[in-house]
Amino acid sequence: MDMPEKPQTSRDATLKVIDCDVHPYVKDGIKSVFPYMPEAWKQRFIRKNAHVSSHARPLKYEHPNGNVNRVDARPPCGGVSGSDPHFLVKDLLEQNKIQHAVLNCLQTGSLCSTLSGTDESVVLCSAFNDFLVDQWLTVDNRLKFAMSVPSQDPQASAAEIRRLGKHPQIVAVSLPLLNILMGNRYWWPIYAAAQEMDLPILVHVTGPDSIFYGPPISAGGIPDSYVERYVTLCQAGESSVNSLVFSGVFEKFPRMKVIFVEYGFLWLLPLLWRMDRTWRQLRHEVPWVKKSPVEYVHAHIRFSTQPLDEPREPKDLDKLIELMGYDQLCFSTDYPHWDNDMPGQSLRGLPKAEREKIFWDNAYSTFRMR
Amino acid sequence: MGKEKKQVEVGKIADFPEGKCTIVEIDGKEVGIARLKNGEYRAVRNHCPHKGAPVCKGFISGTMVPGAVGELVYDRDGEILVCPWHGYEFDLDTGAVIYQESSEKLLMYPVEVRNGEVVVTV
Repeated sequence: MDMPEKPQTSRDATLKVIDCDVHPYVKDGIKSVFPYMPEAWKQRFIRKNAHVSSHARPLKYEHPNGNVNRVDARPPCGGVSGSDPHFLVKDLLEQNKIQHAVLNCLQTGSLCSTLSGTDESVVLCSAFNDFLVDQWLTVDNRLKFAMSVPSQDPQASAAEIRRLGKHPQIVAVSLPLLNILMGNRYWWPIYAAAQEMDLPILVHVTGPDSIFYGPPISAGGIPDSYVERYVTLCQAGESSVNSLVFSGVFEKFPRMKVIFVEYGFLWLLPLLWRMDRTWRQLRHEVPWVKKSPVEYVHAHIRFSTQPLDEPREPKDLDKLIELMGYDQLCFSTDYPHWDNDMPGQSLRGLPKAEREKIFWDNAYSTFRMR
Repeated sequence: MGKEKKQVEVGKIADFPEGKCTIVEIDGKEVGIARLKNGEYRAVRNHCPHKGAPVCKGFISGTMVPGAVGELVYDRDGEILVCPWHGYEFDLDTGAVIYQESSEKLLMYPVEVRNGEVVVTV
């Protein structure tokens, strides 16, 4: 049992880091945001006991170890991991020498995509956004925010972007996806508002995906376990990239940027090869696609790194990233979730200049950093 | 030339409840002391060899033995340490990841009980 000490993992101390995926948890959920909504809506939610609803997943999709959050990331004062902004700054940013963290609230996302009705989602989305601006962004300027939109109502979503989008710490619009492909004109009012405010669209699984009717569903059928579902969640990313390009979204909104967060990225290379081949053969069906799909994706779309896949030979991952190019990846931790990646242990085999692109440059030029 | 080993008293038996991994500090390093069901102790460096998580903040459990489709066999209760991040299961006898080929192992130190004191050799 006695083995020599292994050195602690470390990283280049000069590496600057933007973390594109951090999840704040609003302690007490809907109850916490009552002060940020009209009285009549507060009374509606109280009467239907919305403030004590657990919003639990069905049993078969509960995490096999009982918690999607890291138990070691619970704040010392108690509460759920990710619920105390002061502790999050210390435990994530300071501990890992991260300069900026982009907050994305999945409670808002799941309520907006699925768990609340359309009118409820409009009120709740604004209330959660205002709560986070008021109670989180004021804690530390390093905390940036991907504001949510009530995606069941595109016009209300656009209005929410114009209402709040000028806040200097808001760097993106978090769009809770529905089972409507991203190229569909349903979404275009939201894209128009985001482009107008110079904010990228950030998409991330919101929680009810592949569980309920409403959000994107895994191809081919409903998975049977947490493990099965987890592995298939990337499929919506692949379908969305394809849809965005061929429907002409980037011709219609030439300054629009999209970042796919936590959908993986190793599927991108074969997808681009297939999109490019098919475009060269049949481009006349979609003549508004004026150049190769590869060019649109490189110009407009980025992908977050977590959860990094782990081939048995780590160099295989480095090789695939080299084939993809280094301009499309943005580092993310997914703190405080169980499958998080920390900067000191991530992509250590890449050359220094390429790591700098992935950990800083690509995100800096994608988000509205000021 | 290797560093000379030393023995450190980390607490009394009662300080380490069965089935828990209690973290102590030795020379600035966190070490988890686990008391197993059979009365033996394990001393584990609080650093997951997979991605550096504080592995001792996970939980001690048994595990599901690989078996027939649709059947569960639970075994080795209290002998497995589960990492709080990515869920890797480590054998507290060997420090190895169970049921998969991996060179990643927990760093474990010799530990014994002497006159009611738990003593770790580092």
